[in-house]
Amino acid sequence: MSTGLRFGYGTNGFANHRLDDAVEIIAELGYTGIALTLDHHHLDPFAPDATAQARRLAGRLRELGLRVVVETGARYLLDPRAKHAPTLLDDEPGPRLDFLQRALEIASELGADCVSYWSGSKPVELPDERAWQRMLDGTGTVLTRAEQVGVPLGLEPEPGMFVERLADALRLRAELGEPSLLGITLDIGHCIAVETDSLADCIRQAGPLLVNVQLDDMRSGVHEHLEFGTGEVNLAEGFAALSEVDYRGVAAVELPRHSHAAPVVAARSMDALRAAWRQVSPHPWLAEAEQRVATELTAIRGLFPAVGRKVGRQPLRSAEDPAGLVYGTVDDLARRQLIGVLVRNHDAAEVAAELAELYRYGDDAERRGVLRGLAELGPEAGAAGLPIVADALRTNDTRLIAAALGPFAERELDQHSWRHGVLKCLFVGVPTEAVAGLDRRSDAELRRMVRDFAAERTAAGRQVPADARRLLEGSQ
Amino acid sequence: MRIFDPHIHMTSRTTADYEAMYAAGVRALTEPAFWLGQPRTSVGSFTDYFDGLLGWERFRAAQFGIRHHCTIALNPKEANDPRCTPVLDVLPHYLAKDGVVAVGEVGYDSMTAEEDAAFARQLELAVEHELPALVHTPHRDKLTGTRRSLDVVAESGLPPDRVVIDHLNEPTVGMVAESGCWMGFSIYPDTKMDEHRMVQLLREYGTDRVLVNSAADWGRSDPLKTHAVATTMRAAGFTDTEIGKVLWDNPVEFYGQSGRLLLDGLAGSGPDAETFAGNSVLRGGRPGGDG
Repeated sequence: MSTGLRFGYGTNGFANHRLDDAVEIIAELGYTGIALTLDHHHLDPFAPDATAQARRLAGRLRELGLRVVVETGARYLLDPRAKHAPTLLDDEPGPRLDFLQRALEIASELGADCVSYWSGSKPVELPDERAWQRMLDGTGTVLTRAEQVGVPLGLEPEPGMFVERLADALRLRAELGEPSLLGITLDIGHCIAVETDSLADCIRQAGPLLVNVQLDDMRSGVHEHLEFGTGEVNLAEGFAALSEVDYRGVAAVELPRHSHAAPVVAARSMDALRAAWRQVSPHPWLAEAEQRVATELTAIRGLFPAVGRKVGRQPLRSAEDPAGLVYGTVDDLARRQLIGVLVRNHDAAEVAAELAELYRYGDDAERRGVLRGLAELGPEAGAAGLPIVADALRTNDTRLIAAALGPFAERELDQHSWRHGVLKCLFVGVPTEAVAGLDRRSDAELRRMVRDFAAERTAAGRQVPADARRLLEGSQ
Repeated sequence: MRIFDPHIHMTSRTTADYEAMYAAGVRALTEPAFWLGQPRTSVGSFTDYFDGLLGWERFRAAQFGIRHHCTIALNPKEANDPRCTPVLDVLPHYLAKDGVVAVGEVGYDSMTAEEDAAFARQLELAVEHELPALVHTPHRDKLTGTRRSLDVVAESGLPPDRVVIDHLNEPTVGMVAESGCWMGFSIYPDTKMDEHRMVQLLREYGTDRVLVNSAADWGRSDPLKTHAVATTMRAAGFTDTEIGKVLWDNPVEFYGQSGRLLLDGLAGSGPDAETFAGNSVLRGGRPGGDG
């Protein structure tokens, strides 16, 4: 599987930052690319010193290890009164043609992978055939300049615009005689919003033509760029397909409406990207370990303690969950995967005995791994995991308690023990977000316990934890 | 200043100690498995103790910003009790763990035949598990005990640079320096070593292969003695580099031979062996870094 893809972030998501600050923050967060939207405050292509600015930025990007693609979707760069105007479909497309050609020159100075552009919306009175012809003409003109400077163009199908779907863009390219410098820019959210084919199929269709990928979440039928995890995009599916087509360019987060909280959103986005990437790109050591465990049950004894050394120990989503209590850590996930392999390949009774041993002789990290791995057990194996969960809930180690209250406990733990587990979270400071099925299993007795706990804290002049207050509010 | 205490029994210490240690610059430590004061009477109480070293104590230390490692062994004193010696059979379970950075404390208490057997067997385990060894030297008849320990080490096949001989003093340091083993010094309020004598030995023997620890436990001891050595070194004209070598770099180098230090993410700790070999922890999490 290819690992050539590079995560980037769109500078239009840092519209309230100076460009220099934006690229520095983006690099700090671990991104290795940017999608640079040329705009009046971000490398204005109409500034007299635009070329000098581009050279300076190119040096800075090299220092920061950032690759770059150029985006031309600025809203009021050409006409301060009309968004995106003029487009290639206008009666007077001159300023747009000039802009795109300047963008190509700047891209050449920057050593950018491509310049992306879109068709724009079709004026209502303009017949489709005329609009299509204008797209062909405009693209042809810009392509001439692209050939001169040696920078590819990426045509981006955009919901609500004339070239709206991938099929439209591919057809346009075909009618132009499939010019080698005309590629495709694909926004994975757009695939969910307007395409009929799956995200993976869209990526496969664009395949070798992809020069730029934009990443965001979206809901079907709604063209609104959302943070990852809040829409319907399956990032892992997208990454798997991008790897399949061996895409090696920039895949940049496109969240132009999140500039108000850019550094935080960019950090959260990176966590989501890494989490999804891990799903499609298993660590080579882990892949080998899984094979060994699949054929020989007892192989897990030597492999289980080594997981942290081999795959790392950092939290899966460090920005929102720095201690790894809610989502766990990289080694937690790897151990859970090993247990999953164990469960799928070996006799249930033997697996249960092995898990008991792994837990009994496990250090804190291995015990967490066993606890999180219990989620892999089938419904008939409940008895095997319960003593392990009970042991963990007797400890005061927040990481064990958090790991104990996952999906297995949600399914198997008796109500009394489960309530006490939740209460213990409040006591020791485990976020209740770590408790699987909290809403489903909460009951009046739990709320009574939490009320008493809150009263005791108040009587002692101590703060009532926010999670406790939320549990009580939920009951009203 | 950053300190790694290579020998301290935190199980016997309070949270106030952890706070004071952090304030004094302690960011990492190793807790060797040892005698608890009250004799054990079964293997079970050993395994619970080992579990505590690998679990609860590591967690407790982390709450105070300190990385906790341990060494695992049957200690010399209890090697004489037949109710305890079967623990040797369960040691391999523990020697495979992350954060277990050596076999220890092994060595002599009264130099009995039973101690001989346990010592030799555990050095074999160190070879098998590719771990360094931490050798305790006896309180009584220390000179003889130290010489005999060096003989056992030489016979074990464990290279001397993977062995630390601990609790040294003026009469015992010379033979260890010659042997090529690491030299461990426990700085105590009124026994073993104090910080002024320690600085004198550092002048005499240099800073190579020297580990300085507080060995604080349930007896009268002081978890800040590592810091006291740093202060005394500075007053005696040692440079920051030399102080850093004794109190951080040396423990990292010695225990780093295990490949099991848990210093990842600690500022300035440098890449661990796995990361250094290119098998980065970010692998699978951050594509295309080389493009």
